[in-house]
Amino acid sequence: MIKKIPWWLGAIFMSLLLLFTFSVFGADRPIGASTYVPYFAGILFDLDPDKYTYLKEIHNPGSWEGVMLLGVFFGALFNALFITKTFHLTIVPAAWKKYKNNSVTSRLVWSFISGFLLIIGARLAGGCTSGHFLSGMTQTAISSMIFGGVVMLSLVITGKLFYKDNKNDV
Amino acid sequence: MMYDKDTSMIERIFSMFATVTDEGHGSVVLVFFIGVVFGSIIQYAKVHKFEKIGGFAMLKDTVVPKMLFLAIGLASIGLYFMVEMGYASYHVKPIMLGGLIIGGTIFGIAMAIFGKCPGTGPISVAEGRIDIFVGALGGILGGLVFTVYYDQFKVIMGESLGKITLTGYFAEHQAITALIFGLALVAISFAIPLIEEIDEDDIGYQK
Repeated sequence: MIKKIPWWLGAIFMSLLLLFTFSVFGADRPIGASTYVPYFAGILFDLDPDKYTYLKEIHNPGSWEGVMLLGVFFGALFNALFITKTFHLTIVPAAWKKYKNNSVTSRLVWSFISGFLLIIGARLAGGCTSGHFLSGMTQTAISSMIFGGVVMLSLVITGKLFYKDNKNDV
Repeated sequence: MMYDKDTSMIERIFSMFATVTDEGHGSVVLVFFIGVVFGSIIQYAKVHKFEKIGGFAMLKDTVVPKMLFLAIGLASIGLYFMVEMGYASYHVKPIMLGGLIIGGTIFGIAMAIFGKCPGTGPISVAEGRIDIFVGALGGILGGLVFTVYYDQFKVIMGESLGKITLTGYFAEHQAITALIFGLALVAISFAIPLIEEIDEDDIGYQK
């Protein structure tokens, strides 16, 4: 069984999937993957869509992405269990141990904070890696190019400041 | 009480499926299938891993930008001609400078530390990454806070400066603009040197 594909093949498949989703034969809309989070939060905390403007605004895209992300999750679970066999419980990623620390508490606290910020940031910008980067830049949208530039800069600066270079290791 | 709450949650999940069915952007099965394919491409290319996204932040792995730029380059050329032939249309997000710059900065910081984005997180949770599950709880809280304080966040986002595209801006040379844009991204993708940070824990990793 195939367990890995090269990046360029992944890119070709991803471009075909984007085109299919955009097309009238597919969904006639872009792929997005961050609106579903506040949509699910609304369901989990039982917020009344009539009381919250935002829930009303995201009702349709939130539902669409909700179903799509269920596909992502269950597809990935199926692959992980039966094909790639990549399912195993871990807490601290290997590269975090290498470039940050071995602390479970540190990783979990930072995960919670960064997970929180990730959604605040994405919703402020109106999209994420999927909605802005993949779908937006495919349409040559200026908004998505601004987002892409800012994110890459912020990502690399944070990477430089937050992690240590592992030169003096071993 | 608990029973009532459960019923309403189940009702709302059914309403999610009903909304997708009525909306006309593909059937529930098709949308679910798009998700399966989307997730599988990412999972097989391994670009959801902390080592790939966090690794890119540390400039120790370049698979993520290479794959992103190649995918966008190819798709942008294809989409332009599909729109021209009437097989697709544009759905462009507005330029809201406050939201894009402040939101993008926060998003970049979070992505570097988390080593995930909102689309790749569920794949890692499905593979048993407990830290990402905890981060997803943080994300749900983020979604809740954003929903409740939407009016305040809207002030930060600012006014929309319009839904502008590069091909729309160079309206007289649309086809050539789309081609140059797409080919430039493909060229950038191949120009970025290939550096890889491997997840040593990944028992499924077959080089």
